[in-house]
Amino acid sequence: MIRMKKYFITILLLLMAIALVNGQSSDPLVSSCVMNAGPNTRYLKDFRIQLGKTTTPGELRYKAQMSLWKNTTYKFSLCNSEDSKGKLILSVKDNANKTVISSFDQKTGKIYPYITFTCNKSGIYHLNFDFANGQSGSGVGVVSMVR
Amino acid sequence: MMKGKIFILTSVILLVCFSCRNSASKTSEFVFPESDSIPVGEAEKLSSEAIEEISKNITSPVEIANLLQTMSVPYSPDYLASSLDANRQTTAFDKALTLGILGADLGYLNIYEKTGSSIDILSSIRKLAEGIRVGQYFDFETIKRLSLNRSNLDSLLFLSIDSYTQIDKYLRDNDRGQLSSLMIIGVWLEAQYLATQVMKEYPDPMLRDRIGEQKIILNDLIMLASPYCTNDTEFNSLCRDLQEIKDKYRDVKITYTLGEPVTEEKDGGLVVSQTETSNVDMTEEQLNGIIEVTKNIRDKLISND
Repeated sequence: MIRMKKYFITILLLLMAIALVNGQSSDPLVSSCVMNAGPNTRYLKDFRIQLGKTTTPGELRYKAQMSLWKNTTYKFSLCNSEDSKGKLILSVKDNANKTVISSFDQKTGKIYPYITFTCNKSGIYHLNFDFANGQSGSGVGVVSMVR
Repeated sequence: MMKGKIFILTSVILLVCFSCRNSASKTSEFVFPESDSIPVGEAEKLSSEAIEEISKNITSPVEIANLLQTMSVPYSPDYLASSLDANRQTTAFDKALTLGILGADLGYLNIYEKTGSSIDILSSIRKLAEGIRVGQYFDFETIKRLSLNRSNLDSLLFLSIDSYTQIDKYLRDNDRGQLSSLMIIGVWLEAQYLATQVMKEYPDPMLRDRIGEQKIILNDLIMLASPYCTNDTEFNSLCRDLQEIKDKYRDVKITYTLGEPVTEEKDGGLVVSQTETSNVDMTEEQLNGIIEVTKNIRDKLISND
């Protein structure tokens, strides 16, 4: 019995060590999302989103800001982790709270995995992420410039 | 049996200790020289969330460099802060600001794929990052390898930018927000210098607009610095410099026209063109004033005196 206990503790320690090593390696989802943004793109930034299920779907929960500049075409790529229940969606609003782009078509329910956006009005934009229908999920949004 | 158990236990301990190559333990604490520490209360004139949001608004130097490349402006090492000597940056203020300046130069080199020339800058960045104890967030070896191989520019850009993002986050999370602000200001200033110097040699309406549009985020930049302006003479001087730049932008006007975006589906994604526009109204005199003040301040900051 005592011997079994000691073996169990040893195996537990080994498993914890393995988990620790994996947790500290670079995020493969981010890397793959960046690399798959397309051949004519240049990485700018990424947003890593992990959310639980919400009982009141509506307003998108993960909020961020970034400046977007006139005469620049941006690509917003949305990538979901394999175990994500929901699919990542994005809406971008300008400083007047007007929706400029949305990856989720509420009428058809269609979700677009990427949006190419040609900006002609420089300013601070508000990026809002969530998972479709308020589901739980894990994903990455990558913003790239299109050359 | 006993030896076997000791072996397993030792292996576990060694595996845990060496599992972290480029990550700092989230629970570790750093001890800073007193002059670099500020009471939390003093720094919280803006919430940390507000500061984080502001920091994300600042233009990436990669975007400026990309614009220059689009304009077919040839690469020139003359634009770089080559005279900066990392060894002569003695205070945390100097190190953080220089880290930002060199980060912008690195972005410029990467976009122009002059990655072989970036090794010296990488070494300086590493030295400066270690000087303010954030060296663990800069994956020097991988970035250097990617630079020398010229194999994957996207990986290089991602790692370089991500390193700076992590450094920024770490500094703000650990009550070293003043160094984060300095780094961001350094990046912006160097990118602004690059844009304005190119504008002198290669006048272009797109670049002119981009320079004028910096008015949009200039207030945010000043807000990043403002909690620390009374810290010491160095910060006070920097705050005055930023105000001087802001003064040059005072009469630059930015106007907007309204419109609805044009959207179409293509290849499984969405393609959106914005019909709203922003327009910069800036005289030649105003532009020259901005160019001159930017150069003066930037040259002052990179002098090794």
